[in-house]
Formats: sequence, C-alpha cells, structure tokens
Amino acid sequence: MTVPVASPGRPVPPAPDGRGPSGPRWDAAPGVIRPRHDTEGMVRWGTRLAALLPGAALVGLAVALLIEALPAIRGNGFGFFTRTTWDPGNFYNPPVVVNGVARPDGASYGAFPLIVGTLASSTIAMVIAVPVAFGTAMIVVHKLPRRLSNTVGMLLEMLAGIPSVVFGLWAALTLGPFLAHHVSPFISRTMPDVPVLRFFKGPVGSGEGLLTSGLVLAVMVVPIIASTTRDLLRQVPRGTQEGAVALGMTDLEVVRSVSIPWVRTGVIGACVLGLGRALGETMAVAMASGTVLGTVPRNVYSTFGSMAGVIVSQLDSALTDATGFAVETLAYLGLVLLAMSLLANIGARLLVRRASTTALPVGRGI
Amino acid sequence: MTDAVGTHTGTETALRQAEAGPAAGPPREVAFTPAFSCRGVGVGFGAKTVLEGVDLDIAPGTVTALVGPTGCGKTTFLRTLNRLNDRVPGFRRSGTISLVGEDLYDRHMDPLVVRRRVGMLFQRPNPFPLSIHENVIAGVKAHRLAPRSELRSITERSLREVGLWEAVADRLGSSPFRLSGGQQQLLCLARALAVRPDVLLLDEPTSSLDPVSTEAVEDLLRSLVPGLTIVIVTHNLAQARRLADRTVFFHGGRMVETGETAELFENPQQEETRNYVSGRFG
Repeated sequence: MTVPVASPGRPVPPAPDGRGPSGPRWDAAPGVIRPRHDTEGMVRWGTRLAALLPGAALVGLAVALLIEALPAIRGNGFGFFTRTTWDPGNFYNPPVVVNGVARPDGASYGAFPLIVGTLASSTIAMVIAVPVAFGTAMIVVHKLPRRLSNTVGMLLEMLAGIPSVVFGLWAALTLGPFLAHHVSPFISRTMPDVPVLRFFKGPVGSGEGLLTSGLVLAVMVVPIIASTTRDLLRQVPRGTQEGAVALGMTDLEVVRSVSIPWVRTGVIGACVLGLGRALGETMAVAMASGTVLGTVPRNVYSTFGSMAGVIVSQLDSALTDATGFAVETLAYLGLVLLAMSLLANIGARLLVRRASTTALPVGRGI
Repeated sequence: MTDAVGTHTGTETALRQAEAGPAAGPPREVAFTPAFSCRGVGVGFGAKTVLEGVDLDIAPGTVTALVGPTGCGKTTFLRTLNRLNDRVPGFRRSGTISLVGEDLYDRHMDPLVVRRRVGMLFQRPNPFPLSIHENVIAGVKAHRLAPRSELRSITERSLREVGLWEAVADRLGSSPFRLSGGQQQLLCLARALAVRPDVLLLDEPTSSLDPVSTEAVEDLLRSLVPGLTIVIVTHNLAQARRLADRTVFFHGGRMVETGETAELFENPQQEETRNYVSGRFG
C-alpha cells in the first residue's frame, strides 16, 4: 500500500483554477498531516488482517500438523485408535515398509490407552471442578463482603496463573503420596462393588495415577470456571433477583429460577474452556500420571499416560528414529488431541445454542 | 375474573368482619380489620433514618396511593410492608405493622409466607430468564400451591386476568424478553397474581411504560379491587387521582397527611401537601 505522505519539500499543488496556492490546504501541509482517507484505509486493512489472524493460525496449525502426521495416518491406519501397544521397534534392524511407509522393525503404535487416560482424567477433573467452581463463584458474589470477595477473586486469578510444572511437582511429591497413604486405601475399602463405583476399588498404588491427576487438573480448572462464573453472576440484574425474593422464594429458589438460567450459557462456555485446559494440560499430568505406555487404566488409582503427556515425554526418543515414523506418530497423536478439543468446543456451542432458547437481553456469555 | 380474585382469604375475612362489625358500636373506621395497620413505624438503614412515626391504616379492597417527592421514604415504606427490606444490610425498624391483624414482624411470621400474601410489582419489568409459562407459575411452584397437572390452567387463567393470553398463547414456551415493555410488566403482574396474594404493592409500576400500556395497566388495577388491596407508590399525581381511593402524602421521612384522594387534592389540610399537589415543589 502506498501512502502519499506530504513531505517537507513537496511543492504545494496549484488550486484547480490555476491561480496558484490559495491559503493552507490539509493535503499540502508540509509533513504534518496525513490524508484522512489514507489512515482510514490502514485501519480498515489492519483490522481485517487482525480479524483473520486467529482463523489463519488455527487452519495453519491444523494443516501443518496434518502434513507431518500424514505418513503416520497411512502407516498406523485406524487400528491406531484400538491398539493398546506402544512399541517404537528395533532401531538397529533394517527398517520395514508397511502400507508404503517406512518404520523400524517391529514398531507398533496404538493410542487407545492414551485416549482413555486423557478422557478419564479430564472427566474426574470436571466432575470435581464444576460444582466447586460454581459454589465458589456463588459465595464470592452473594455471601462475602465486598472487600473479602475481591481478595478471593484475586487469589483465584493468581491460582490460574501458577505454572503447571509447579502443580505437577506438588501433585507428584505431596498430593499423590498423601492420597496413596491416607485417602485412597479408605475409599478403596469402603466403595461398594457395583458398576461405576467399582473403578474406585483395587490396589491404590503409590500416588501417581488418575485420581491424583484428576484432582490436580481440577485445581487448575476451578479458577477458569469460577472467575468467569463470578463475572456472569455479577451481571444478573438486582431487580430480577428482587422480583423472585418478593414472590416469596428462598435463596436457593432465587438461584435456581433467576441466577442459573441467566448465567447458564456463559458457564457452559467457561466449562468448555476448562475442559480444553484439562484435555490439553501436559506438564502436570505428565508428572502426576506415571506416564505409562500401552496399558489401559483399570481403576482410578492406576498409572496411565495422557496424549499430551506422552507427546512431551516421548519426543526425545522419537527423534532418534531414523525413519521418522515415531515423530510422525506423535504428530498424529497431536492431531487427534486437537480434533478432540475442537469437538468439545463445537459440542459445547451446540449445547449453548439449545440451552439459550430463552434469549436474554444481555449477557449471552461466551 | 373478580370472583376468582375474591377468594383471597385475608380480604374475605376482613370483609366478613366488616359485615358483622357495626353492631359492636365502634366508629366505622375500625369496623373491619385493616389490611395493614401501622403504628409509629420508623425505618432506618445503619445510622441513617429514612422514616419516622408513620401511623396509617389501609382498608382492605381499596387502592391507596403513596405520593411525595423523591427521597421522601415512600418506596422504603412500601418495601417494609412485604419485608423486602429485611435483606438490606443495616435495616432497622420500630413501631408495629400488622397484616390483617397479625404482627407482620412477629418471630413466628415467615417472611416467605408474608411475601406470598403481599405481592409486589416493580418499577421496571423484571421477568425471570425462563419461558413465559414458567414465569407465570414460578411463585406457584415455589410455594407448592398447585399440583403439576394444574399449572397449565393456572398460566392461562393468570394471563387472561391481565389480558395477555391472546398475545402470548402461541408462544408460552419462548422468552419473555421478546415481549414489549408493557407486555413484560403485565406478565410480571400475572406472575404476582398467580399466587393469589391478599395485597399487591406497586412501586411506580408504569414509570417505564408508554401511555397506552400505562392505561392498560391502570384499567387492570381498577378491576382487581375490591378483591385485592392495592398500595401504589407513584410520582404521577394524575395517576394517583385516577386510581386511588385514598392518598397518603410523604415528605422528608414523615407521613404528612392522608385522606380521601379527592379531598386530599382539593382541600389539603397541611401547607406542605398544598404546595406539593399544586405543583409548587416535588
């Protein structure tokens, strides 16, 4: 884009009638004023570019990952989703070609245990985090005095900013052993042997595993959901809440018929943000899960591997695979993780659209 | 419609007492149990005193208008009548208020029950973020006044009472926020009437509405008495004249004067009242 800036030396153009310069003119002011229509154009194009960037970044990322993963998709096939093995093969034997893709002799990859581990730890995290976050937000907005409420809000935001490796250390060194020694044995003993609850029975291990990971993920997700929910609850109009009180409703009924419907769509959005964080969280889970490969977790105390955690823990050794198949497989794993996060997001959007049949005047949330 | 509203128990008791009363001999004003009877009522929040020494009887089945300049305490007084101020930090109260003979602020008086018997309509329409149907029955469900099977018919009856049924019958499941302001206010009225209150408190209910909606709401309110006792706060003196049987003038946290509406406007006894109703201040 050429920007015709008036420069100090530029001659002032003659007036249209040819009688020479006629007083100061905006487009001829020496070096000071930029023609208005030009800044306008820059703003227009600048904003368009800025608007396109997020979309372009997402598409670019997905395409780059897809290209990197393509050989692994062909080589591993759909069996990738059902196999439980994770064997890089023998790097010292000559590589073999399967489905037109070279790989080390005996290499076989299956992501099933990783997908299960990722979903299970995220589910545990969400089951714990959503009610805790909503309760925290309710108390901060409705029960605490203003100053204390601001302090708690600030602490929540600080909690969201703690590096995940710190959470991972805490989980591996403190939370995990504590659970394994003092909590898990009790739960394991007392849980009835019925479907679903059966997953809480069995050997409790040494502290690394699904339960520890789920808990630490919950601690990381709570601030995300709680701070959004708090902001949304503050937007619920006083007059509407008072209307419910004036009708003789209890506090709980006011929450149920005014506050929750008012914030529902936004809270669902916040939960998806939280779920995205839980699914993709790498470091804390890598440290708290035990990062095992090739085994499906049997109960909530089992060590496991998450998709993100395995990518980071296996990349080093994968780079030593001369055929490149190991790295391509990790890219494939990353692609699946990306797809899962996007699916969760899209699913939540559909849910939000269904939940928001009661259109609100303001505060649609995310 | 009137016979449906006539089943309000408190008002009915009062009316029955009114019929039986005169034989006992006391003056006519005490022949019935007032819907509200206030003696020396004072209200404050923290160190600030908003109202002092209010003595007022409100007869059942009538419309009473509370008028006065901004900040005179009339809305605070209104909100004391359904114990809505209980929730305000620092709220304190002196004197006694009785609701159809019972002490409103008695320890054994459940504020939730008080608020069912004393409904309220606010300055701005405040429908809940629920469907139109759920809005109407919200109070009925909260107080468990009717079995699930009757909720539909309660919605229809309440919406017919306020003349909104024809307009919304085909979209009971959709959002109330797409209705006009006037329709939203009627919906809130239907919601308040659905729990069959004895008294309805109105806090400038038409100040955010256009003239046509205002007229609709006023006509409706007139048609609700004498089945219902109405106490209305208004800034609009013409509205007080059109609607109210009695008018109460508040100024500076005191009740200055009360009387028959026509009497108070034509022949005010106090200087302040005279200045206010003649438009010299306020």
